[in-house]
Amino acid sequence: MDTFQAIADPSRREILMLLTKDKMSINSLAGNFDMSRPAVSKHVKVLYEAGLILISDQGRERYCELKPEGFGEIKKWLTFFDQFWKEKLQNLENLLNERSKNSANFHPPGK
Amino acid sequence: MIKRDILIKWHFSHPPEKVWECLTEPKLISQWLMKNDFKPIIGHRFNFYTKPIPQMGFDGIVYCEVLELIPNKKLVYTWKGGPRPGVIGLDSLLTWTLMPDGDGTRMILEHTGFSGWKNFVASIFMEKGWKKISRRMGQVLIDMK
Repeated sequence: MDTFQAIADPSRREILMLLTKDKMSINSLAGNFDMSRPAVSKHVKVLYEAGLILISDQGRERYCELKPEGFGEIKKWLTFFDQFWKEKLQNLENLLNERSKNSANFHPPGK
Repeated sequence: MIKRDILIKWHFSHPPEKVWECLTEPKLISQWLMKNDFKPIIGHRFNFYTKPIPQMGFDGIVYCEVLELIPNKKLVYTWKGGPRPGVIGLDSLLTWTLMPDGDGTRMILEHTGFSGWKNFVASIFMEKGWKKISRRMGQVLIDMK
């Protein structure tokens, strides 16, 4: 499952949001949801397989934490439009300059 | 819901009427932005056509609808895209505002309302906890700015 599918699910997004605060055990994650612990566990597995979280065992608990490297693909989207619009607006400026130069040639100023 | 909005300010040394032409005449729009079938009519639905970007879930078609139109001043349209027709991943809004500024024009472009996962990811990146984690990220973060 790819990153986008993994975060398409609202519960999984919620899990990731909880993990932005701190690493959490699956039990304490489950405490934030109406669904069963196995259901939460299943979502955790999907997030793990998509490379978005790390899982470690501490004592009897399994702990989850965000894996920043996993968000690289999404990062591309975030920066995409900033760059996109700056390029396009530069195009627009060039076009405007070109058009005014052309019309200036047809109607020379001062005549 | 937390949004990550884009706001770009730009100055053109041309009057708003000239800039407006380039925002609303399909042939001119295609010269600086993308091929399109725009019409300056509120409620008109149109598309932009460009190269698909499969790794970003984008099939190369932007679906738009004109929402607001005040000649030489303001233009608002929706900006939606996705991996294939009928599936929308990006649901956003473009607002173009023009103001006379001396002999030229001051333009503000707002690209707002990113919803769904994009919105969510943006909020993840803005969380304090994330910043703490991101200090450990090294290279991944450097080019993120």
